[in-house]
Amino acid sequence: MIGMPASRIWNRVFTALAMAVLAYAVLAPLSSLDALQSLGMPLLTDKLWFRLATITAMFVVMASAWNIIGGLTGYAAFGNVAFFGIGAYTVGMLITKARWPFLLALPLAPAAAAVFAVLIGLPLLRLRGHYFAVASLGVGVAVGELVQNVDFRGEPLFGGASGLFLPILAVPNRDLYFFYLMLAAAAVSIGVTWAVLRSRFGYGLIAIRENEEAAAVIGVNTTAYKVAAFALAATLTGLAGGVFAQWNVFVDQENSFPIGYNVEMILMALLGGTGTVFGPAAGAVVLQLLIQFLSGSLPITLQIPFVPDDAMPVLAQVVLGVLLMLVVVFAPRGVIDFFGGRSTLSIAYLRRSLRETSV
Amino acid sequence: MTSVDPQLELKNVTKRFGGVAAVDDVTFAIGKGEILGVIGPNGAGKTTLLNCISGVYRLDGGDVRWQGESIAGLAPFRVARLGIGRTFQIVKPFTSMTVRENVVAGALFGSDEDRPRLGAAFGRADGVLELVGLRSKADLPVSAMTIPDRKRLEVARAVATRPKLLLLDEVMAGLNPVEIDDALEMVRAVHQSGVTVVLIEHVMRVIVGVCARVVVLDVGRMLADGPPDVVLRDERVIQAYLGERYARRLRGS
Repeated sequence: MIGMPASRIWNRVFTALAMAVLAYAVLAPLSSLDALQSLGMPLLTDKLWFRLATITAMFVVMASAWNIIGGLTGYAAFGNVAFFGIGAYTVGMLITKARWPFLLALPLAPAAAAVFAVLIGLPLLRLRGHYFAVASLGVGVAVGELVQNVDFRGEPLFGGASGLFLPILAVPNRDLYFFYLMLAAAAVSIGVTWAVLRSRFGYGLIAIRENEEAAAVIGVNTTAYKVAAFALAATLTGLAGGVFAQWNVFVDQENSFPIGYNVEMILMALLGGTGTVFGPAAGAVVLQLLIQFLSGSLPITLQIPFVPDDAMPVLAQVVLGVLLMLVVVFAPRGVIDFFGGRSTLSIAYLRRSLRETSV
Repeated sequence: MTSVDPQLELKNVTKRFGGVAAVDDVTFAIGKGEILGVIGPNGAGKTTLLNCISGVYRLDGGDVRWQGESIAGLAPFRVARLGIGRTFQIVKPFTSMTVRENVVAGALFGSDEDRPRLGAAFGRADGVLELVGLRSKADLPVSAMTIPDRKRLEVARAVATRPKLLLLDEVMAGLNPVEIDDALEMVRAVHQSGVTVVLIEHVMRVIVGVCARVVVLDVGRMLADGPPDVVLRDERVIQAYLGERYARRLRGS
């Protein structure tokens, strides 16, 4: 695997902890099955739990997908929310206008997002650094506006400002169904990252990130590789959008193209460690819990003197901004740096300097 | 001086930047298995010429032919796939990778012939590291490498792409005499493994040591082409390197 090993002890502690949390998150929902309920199994989850877990899994997909273009290839895409929205609207349109069944419509969500990524990737991926970041942000905003405002024969083509209402999917244990569907998407995203990092494709992407000119002269078709990475990120993000549409039953510009998602998915990947397999997923879980906690959606809420409750969502945004600054300045490679001792604020660095300065 | 079997042919190659011709009407050929030196003072157009061959620059005139077919205008990655490898004067390692991973990246891509799978690429990489003398440093991160070792790594990554022709851009620049001798040993080893080598150098001593044939460039034009002992006695070459006054004094003595 490409990348540096973090400190071993911390690695083990965190792996054990993560496995326990993961096992609980994956198995707890099963307690809501009728068969287990009738056997007297205590209910480990409720509506709120499902909502939170499904959203968290959704962000695991988005952060892992962003990692493929932003972390592995080194192209800071700021408009990936466009792929999410395109996925959501593809499912929304196919179900409401063409009356397709959900499971038939779902595969077309990632496909539509991937096609769009190839079309915009060919011109945009010629830009580097800030130019690519700004251009991709522009696309992300523009697609959302277009979807809301495009008319056809005087009628809004994609539902306009009132959005699309999907029929509720008739399946038993709907909450359970969508949680596992999103969880599967998250597992696929992590699995894809894992496979990419162990392939010729992955070596090519990292070579591009490290030095695009050197990558070209060793024979990497840089344009094709960058577009492929962008399309792969779009495929996964579009899949999350497609599942979201049917799960949420309602899609509009505001919930399918939220600009804030761009920042959040990048922050999650940065926080967890870009370029790694599990980093973005870990970042997504931690940050999503933090966002939900700060905005008061969790049973445990925070009371801060002089801050009224309805100001908490705003405060959440402020905390995210500050966190982004701290991560970028002190641990640019994510918490991996923090435990590997490569950040001056890290635990390992502190231990090392204490050892070196003690008499 | 062209050998019977020309592998790479440059025909009237010209590259201009604005009004300045950095490479001006350069014509010569390289035979299979040769080790050719390209020398010239600063700004002679050595690196520009190399960029013209490897596809980094588009030609403004002339043609580059590889095994009889024109490769002018091909993208750098296509040139690499045909079996032409190169290094950069200012080394460009993949810094987040280890030494071995850098060379594995080279082995995974490069020439279209005989591309290894990921597992086999590691084996190939170790062989190349052995050849350039970096085997013991294979697991080090690039950041822990000295400048001479980084230059070696640059060569190793290029050799791993299985080139038939290797263009080395000032791999000795910035090295001390002992390090230069080591590097020369490496270049000889690479050449003996069956690769045609073009050695671009600023330092004369290097060329005389290994090359049977030398091409001299000055302000984009070709001054001389021949064995080093003949070329280095050429008055125009001495003038280009040491100035007219020195050339006159040399003539007087």
